[in-house]
Amino acid sequence: MKHSIVRSTGIMAVAAGVLLAGCASGTPATSPGTGTGETGPAVPGVREDCKDGKGAVGLIPKLGTDPYMVVVKEAAEAAAAEIGGSVIFTSPSEATGAAQIPFVNQLVAQNVCVIAIAGSDTDSTKQALLGAQEKGIKVISWDSDVDPSARSVFVNQADSASIGDQMLVSMSKMLGPDGGDVAILSSTPTAVNQNAWIDSIKKQLETNPDYAKINLVTVVYGQEKADENARQATALVQSYPNLRGIIVPAGIGLPAAANALDQTGDLGRIKLTGLAPPTLISKFIQSGEVQSVWWNVSDLGTLTYHAAQAMATGKITGAEGDAFDAGALGDYKVGAKGEVILGEAQIVTPENLNTFKF
Amino acid sequence: MKIDATAVRSYLTRWESLLAIATILFIVYAAATTPGLLSSASLSNAFQVVAEKSLFVLPLLLLIIGREIDISVASVGAFAAVVVGLLTQAGLPFAVAVIVGLLVGGLCGALNGFCVAVLGMPSLVVTLGSLALFRGLCYVALGSTPITSPIPPDLITWSYGTFLGWVPNNLIPLLILIPIFGIALHRRPIGRQIFAIGGGPDVARYSGVRVLRLRFWLFVVSGAVAAIAGVLAIGRTSQVTPDAMVGYELDAITVVFLGGVSFLGGAGRMTGVIWSLLLIVMLRQTLLLQGQGQYAQGLAVGLLLIGSLLLANISQRIGAWFTNRRLRAAAQAA
Repeated sequence: MKHSIVRSTGIMAVAAGVLLAGCASGTPATSPGTGTGETGPAVPGVREDCKDGKGAVGLIPKLGTDPYMVVVKEAAEAAAAEIGGSVIFTSPSEATGAAQIPFVNQLVAQNVCVIAIAGSDTDSTKQALLGAQEKGIKVISWDSDVDPSARSVFVNQADSASIGDQMLVSMSKMLGPDGGDVAILSSTPTAVNQNAWIDSIKKQLETNPDYAKINLVTVVYGQEKADENARQATALVQSYPNLRGIIVPAGIGLPAAANALDQTGDLGRIKLTGLAPPTLISKFIQSGEVQSVWWNVSDLGTLTYHAAQAMATGKITGAEGDAFDAGALGDYKVGAKGEVILGEAQIVTPENLNTFKF
Repeated sequence: MKIDATAVRSYLTRWESLLAIATILFIVYAAATTPGLLSSASLSNAFQVVAEKSLFVLPLLLLIIGREIDISVASVGAFAAVVVGLLTQAGLPFAVAVIVGLLVGGLCGALNGFCVAVLGMPSLVVTLGSLALFRGLCYVALGSTPITSPIPPDLITWSYGTFLGWVPNNLIPLLILIPIFGIALHRRPIGRQIFAIGGGPDVARYSGVRVLRLRFWLFVVSGAVAAIAGVLAIGRTSQVTPDAMVGYELDAITVVFLGGVSFLGGAGRMTGVIWSLLLIVMLRQTLLLQGQGQYAQGLAVGLLLIGSLLLANISQRIGAWFTNRRLRAAAQAA
């Protein structure tokens, strides 16, 4: 009996192997990289019921409970109260792209004028968003982009490369001229923004002589959960005795890591920087042990809502050079690849801490 | 034709019949209060997004009836999808990559089956381990960048297409496998053997059921079906990603238990599970259309499961109380 199981497992393994070997040698490689990303469908024109700019804008965050996302929602609602229209905020409970698909479908069913999505990954929702566009719904992304073929405009908080670079500048300043071992504690391995920032940090470390003494030892992931971030942060300190700093490019991760290392007494010896609402870590920023790279989140919500209504009314189409008015924020222009950039990311230090409301 | 009153009553009080009535009542109520619920777009969306999880239900039904469980299905499926993605990227035709992926899924299942059937380890622990193991392998094999470029556009278009007006194409594997699993479970000796093992493995063995072999193959089937789900996930999300289908096993297990399958094994029916799947899908879709987030949906499904188990428990006790009273009365009369 045991023999038959071993035998059948063996047969399956051999079958898989033979199939693989046969194909690898026999068939010529099909041309890879033709890609699924043909240009999106012919986007229909402006819908009559959205023309007046009073239609509904569906806002899909990465996670419904993330305070960052909630600030964006509140700012968008405030903008709606000011210029008209309304906001429908949905709440996925997992930070995966697949979990966002039903919510895209829901907003399509509700026939909103615009879907504004913060993509948990670039491709999962692509097909559903293309379907939404076919039904006359405008699609824009904010905070983190989806596949560019599936949206018209991406409202970006800051130029991606500059955010990564700012985190490195901040870490380098805290470490001083001696540099030292540094680790990165990111959100999830597939997070689009974080990976772009990490890539740009790695490139800087390799090429920029200013960072010659900074040594990146590892990249680990806190999975967007406070307890996991705390666990990973303390584990990093234990496994790398020469560690001098951790870069945490994730809003949930940095406060969790700061609190965890504060409790173990390692904070101070270990410097932290990254990306988090300054208000959550203000006492650590004040004491100089932690810095943060940040932007005005509330402005991101305001800009997103204005961009959404500009799409709905046909004021912009997402073409480079299109301009629109974003209320108190002033005028904005659509840049290359349909990106609208909110502004420069800033390093939060004890000196400028009180200028950040979130 | 004479209708046997007791047979009718016992049929109506069966769990799946109650579930069917509850599901139909719910759909009627929800359709009346939620505009657009039964529109073809709403129905196709509702079922399209559950294509993968509902496939997991089939092997889990068999395993749980046979006193086993496989909570590694989502990880195994994701790992098979990663294999398919990497092979396609290496230049293999997609169809061949899928066949290899299914074999890999079967092998992952065989590993679970080997540990359970041959080494005699408890399946909950084994598959808890392989849940983490295969998910970890996904990340190791793929790194942090999902594969998007060589995925055949036809698969994606197919996944989002429908037939008969609203039935999503990616439900086809499920619709093919339901009758196969249903017949195997209820109309074939293998099904009776699974029930026998669930009723009592020792008795089954002494009656000539080859318990270990059957157990092993149930896990292999589970792995292969999980791999099919993995391929469907590629189509639905336009990519191969290491975090595909995370947590889907719990949704599938919920469907199985709400479907009236005994936690202790030995009891359960395919029809019950189908009704429970329908009920949960429609409940979630109704809440979604009413603008409720995923948290509220989870809450509702959780309450439904616990509430229904409670109800079943209470009705059983009331039934037992009546039987006892009748027996006592009969004894006194005698």
